[in-house]
Amino acid sequence: MKGQIRKSFAVTVGIDLAEIDRVNAAFAEFAEVHDLPAKIRRSVRVVFDELLNNAISYGFEGRDSGEITVDVELAGDRLSVTITDDGKPFNPFREEPPDTLLSTQERRIGGLGIHLVRQAMDEVSYHRRTDRNVVMLAKRVTDD
Amino acid sequence: MDIAVRTQNDVSLIAFAGDFDTNTSPEAQQALDGIVEGGGHRIVVDFTNVDYISSAGLRVLLATAKRVQGVGGTLHMFGLNETVEEVFEISGFSMILKVFRTEAEALEGV
Repeated sequence: MKGQIRKSFAVTVGIDLAEIDRVNAAFAEFAEVHDLPAKIRRSVRVVFDELLNNAISYGFEGRDSGEITVDVELAGDRLSVTITDDGKPFNPFREEPPDTLLSTQERRIGGLGIHLVRQAMDEVSYHRRTDRNVVMLAKRVTDD
Repeated sequence: MDIAVRTQNDVSLIAFAGDFDTNTSPEAQQALDGIVEGGGHRIVVDFTNVDYISSAGLRVLLATAKRVQGVGGTLHMFGLNETVEEVFEISGFSMILKVFRTEAEALEGV
């Protein structure tokens, strides 16, 4: 886009929970270089923790290997994150959000991760493209 | 994650340090289960040195709160940083769990 500098990075990881730290580290470096505010860093951390954990834990059952690619792009004040994996078809946003007004005893254990992701970002979407799950998320970068 | 447990007048104080996430929540769950199984039903959790909590951490707290409430006990928390507090707000946990600012406040009425 004219007059706009696009900044991006991509990292591909295997299906091991320890890989989440590698993605977090890559993003931390990107956030540092581009001076992203703390709130955005927290939001993206939630996204990686929850979505990568889900994908790695449940998306590749019965398989020894798999591939998850994380693309991050900053265009103007819009930060977008795309997570692509070749696991089994799964739309994380299809589930009903949990009722956060229920009492301790009534609350179900689970369903919270996706809720946190929805709250952390401005836009979330899911597409199945041929043999891949593509989750796209975006948030406007503000200083507050 | 570092975990320290001490007992003070029948109250179990457990302090977590580090990230409370997918990787560390099993050890946190184990420590809390140990307290409950040892008869500790009045628990205060120190979050002062917890940098971050994910839904895996929230699940541990909810499971423990359910367990102690089921036997007439209490679970209090204090020392949440901005990041952790935000997650508590979003998840509705600040309404169902008892969160205090300081250790003294958390110990009162536990």
